[in-house]
Amino acid sequence: MDPAPDPRPGAGAPGPDLRSLRTRSTRYHRPRAPFCGVGYCTNCLVRVNGVPNVRACRTPFAPTDRVEVENAWPSSRFDLLAAFDVVFPHGIDTLRGFRRPAFARGFYQRVVRRLAGTGALPTPTRPVGTAPARTIETDVVIVGAGTAGRACAGAVVGAGGRPVVLEREPGAAAVDGAEVVVGTTAVFLPPPVLGRPFPFQLIASAPGGSATEVHARRVVVAVGGYDASLWFAGSDRPGVLTADGAERMHPAKRPGFHRAVVFGGGPRALEMLNRFPEHVDAVVAPGTIDPDVSRRASELDIPLYPRTLVLGALGRSRVERVRLTRRGGSSPTFEIPVDAVVLAHRRLPHAQLFFQAGARMAWRPDVGAYSPAIGACGETSVPGLFAAGEPAGAARPDDAVRSGEVAGAAVVAGGPSPSLPVAPAPEGRHELEGYYQEWLAAGPGPGKVVVCPCEDVLLPELLDATDRGYRGIEVIKRYTGLGTGLCQGRYCLPDALFVLAARERRPVPEVGYITQRPPVVPTSLGALAGLPEPGGPPP
Amino acid sequence: MTPPTRRSYRVAIVGGGIVGLFTAYHLLRAGAGPVVVLERGFLSSGASGRNGGGVRQQWDTRATVRLMREAVGAWKRFGREFGTNVWFRQGGYLFLATTPDEVGRLHKVTEAVRAEGLDGRLLDATDVPRHAPALSLDGVLGATFLRTDGTLYPFPGVWGVYEAVRALGGEVCLGVEVTGVRIEGGRAVGLTTSAGPVDATTVVNAAGGWSADVSRLAGLAVPNVASRHEILATEPLKPFLDPMVIRLSDGLYFSQTMRGEVVGGLAVPHPTGTRAGVPTSVAFLGSMSRSLVRLVPALAPVGVLRAWSGYYDDTPDGFPVIGEDPRLPGFVHANGFSGHGFMLSPASSKRVAKAVMGEPTDLDPAQFSPGRFLDPHRAATPEGLQPG
Repeated sequence: MDPAPDPRPGAGAPGPDLRSLRTRSTRYHRPRAPFCGVGYCTNCLVRVNGVPNVRACRTPFAPTDRVEVENAWPSSRFDLLAAFDVVFPHGIDTLRGFRRPAFARGFYQRVVRRLAGTGALPTPTRPVGTAPARTIETDVVIVGAGTAGRACAGAVVGAGGRPVVLEREPGAAAVDGAEVVVGTTAVFLPPPVLGRPFPFQLIASAPGGSATEVHARRVVVAVGGYDASLWFAGSDRPGVLTADGAERMHPAKRPGFHRAVVFGGGPRALEMLNRFPEHVDAVVAPGTIDPDVSRRASELDIPLYPRTLVLGALGRSRVERVRLTRRGGSSPTFEIPVDAVVLAHRRLPHAQLFFQAGARMAWRPDVGAYSPAIGACGETSVPGLFAAGEPAGAARPDDAVRSGEVAGAAVVAGGPSPSLPVAPAPEGRHELEGYYQEWLAAGPGPGKVVVCPCEDVLLPELLDATDRGYRGIEVIKRYTGLGTGLCQGRYCLPDALFVLAARERRPVPEVGYITQRPPVVPTSLGALAGLPEPGGPPP
Repeated sequence: MTPPTRRSYRVAIVGGGIVGLFTAYHLLRAGAGPVVVLERGFLSSGASGRNGGGVRQQWDTRATVRLMREAVGAWKRFGREFGTNVWFRQGGYLFLATTPDEVGRLHKVTEAVRAEGLDGRLLDATDVPRHAPALSLDGVLGATFLRTDGTLYPFPGVWGVYEAVRALGGEVCLGVEVTGVRIEGGRAVGLTTSAGPVDATTVVNAAGGWSADVSRLAGLAVPNVASRHEILATEPLKPFLDPMVIRLSDGLYFSQTMRGEVVGGLAVPHPTGTRAGVPTSVAFLGSMSRSLVRLVPALAPVGVLRAWSGYYDDTPDGFPVIGEDPRLPGFVHANGFSGHGFMLSPASSKRVAKAVMGEPTDLDPAQFSPGRFLDPHRAATPEGLQPG
């Protein structure tokens, strides 16, 4: 896990207060508030100094910055365009609607085209150049300076190496003997070209709109994970946020909510109880609740709702209550008045770099995600590429330290042979498989179920696709647009896998793999333009 | 996997992309079923789901202009005929020339376009901002513009034709790989597949980038070459660009989709053949970004959302291969579209269906027939407008 910086309001930096920032969604202009806090979702996009789609949660603001809300008129709190949400309670069918009469084709196109897009063409108030990329050559590059990455760097340094460590967060601490490059996000790791002195070429985006290119002999990816989303009616409503978001954007003493439901029964839910003991009103879990969570909750006098479905988050401009029902079919629904839902039920490893590099990926039913198939030292099926921390299956900090140390030792020793020991495939079903089956059976909740908040894709669009016989995540993605927005599917495709498995009546791995195309996060054309010309001197 | 339900079909089509599906559609409409389409991957897994959605009538060969003019009409009607919206938006195509030689080429194109009755315009550099105000005119000497060209959203095209084929009783078998072409008495009589053998009076090779492999399965040497082309999409922006823009000098092309993304590509050299799969290269990300930012400086801070690649099925002259192979009766080609299969498919597939049914077509054999490559004395005039 990345080290958590002080949330902005506590840090006293200028810029919008993430606790009260409001934005609007692209198609239906639904009210949105910052959700993930870690720079992936689309809910905190603002226009800064004429540059669109800047993520407020990851941007250092200067007092003179001009910050504007996008996609709303006249303001994000009162947006007349939100009429689209009211006028189309079942959504706008751009796939099969708008086909007649023929003479209206041009008119429909103009209307639908205007509804698309977040932010307008940049009108930068200061020039945006294309800085040449910085090039680094190193034996070992470690991606991520979290718990596992630091342990790994320590092990490499201890064995006499001098690794380069790339860290996305701006403020990561130094590691003795290693070069820590902060504020730099690894966005593209193509498969290694074996036979070159530096088989790996890793592209990273650096501060100030430039790129960094790392040529390395070996790569350890220790990028951690993130808290997943959950589908229910109103899951896109302000007040619903991930545990990452709660941790990053809401100071423990003065969060932007007063009474929250924590969703989840595991270690992450416990962290939320410990962080916001005064502000949690209930713990709701898709399955059983861990004993230490139960213990802490009873100390705090917080009621527990194990094996419970979230049917909806209701309210006007933000969550005012949640509607729940016990799993098992025949239970009545009930509501709890709260102003936030904190999703702390499932952490997913960041797996994009492994997929890009061509590593063999495996479905992990215990995590409910795909992650690289690894051997005992974190080695993947790609020679020279190692995993550590959450992508290597480490769930707790001490596991992360151990996996970092093991990978660090292996990477210095030249690594074990690339013949990957076949790890026994984990068995069983993830608890969300049964959860989503029952959720679908419970019927639509109150209001829209926005399954892809970036593109405002609604649940009925996905159900319609499966009804018409379209099968598999790859086709459903292209049919509905689900997962093709600014978060590139991080907050919808993992849930889509379970829902499609239930609809198609087949195991999750047969529904398909989630293709992860580069770059890992949107990377500016200006930064990529600084990459060296092809045909230049080989590294 | 969806296996075939019968052993015997009148026509078996290899490839479930837009070309194969449209061919099946026209055959079924003409009553030439039963038809089976065999697709190795999922729907839209090949170039039909990977292209930039361009639809243009500007070519320097009049026969292609004519064919595309017919295709434009079909794309305009598509939603009403097939039930799904491809959002064919006629924002025009703007070709940019940066050398006097390129201006000369565009002159020839506009002559062909106008000779076919279309309103192609030759523009001075100073006219360009009227059509695309965001462009930097640095180095632009001239341009052509045809406002009835446009862009579409390819996926609903695939869904619509797929549904129409199924509604007409055609079978589309997904996840079924063709492993061999069965030949008896010098005639193609069917296929072997991963789901067992299939008999067919006629086999159609509509395998796109893999068509040369399928022809080889039938023992036929063909000059088709698969070439990998890369493409990217940016964050979606509010509408700012109407036409598809193509710069002749480096083959840069880009347009803004109905969803607001700027989608475009640029040719960077890759080894031919399909063995590499569909990765993205660092060279492409760098070259494409440099080229695009130089032409549209305001895009510099805009993020690239995703990049992907796909295969063109190139022929030596850039024209598609349509018709029965003279060396193997019963084996019909619908391939070699050289990067323009999607836009051409509504018109070209009608001719493929006719060829399957043994009817004459209006296509000039010297330009479209499979036999043209067998004539050693043939003086080929390649299509000149093939950037990107």
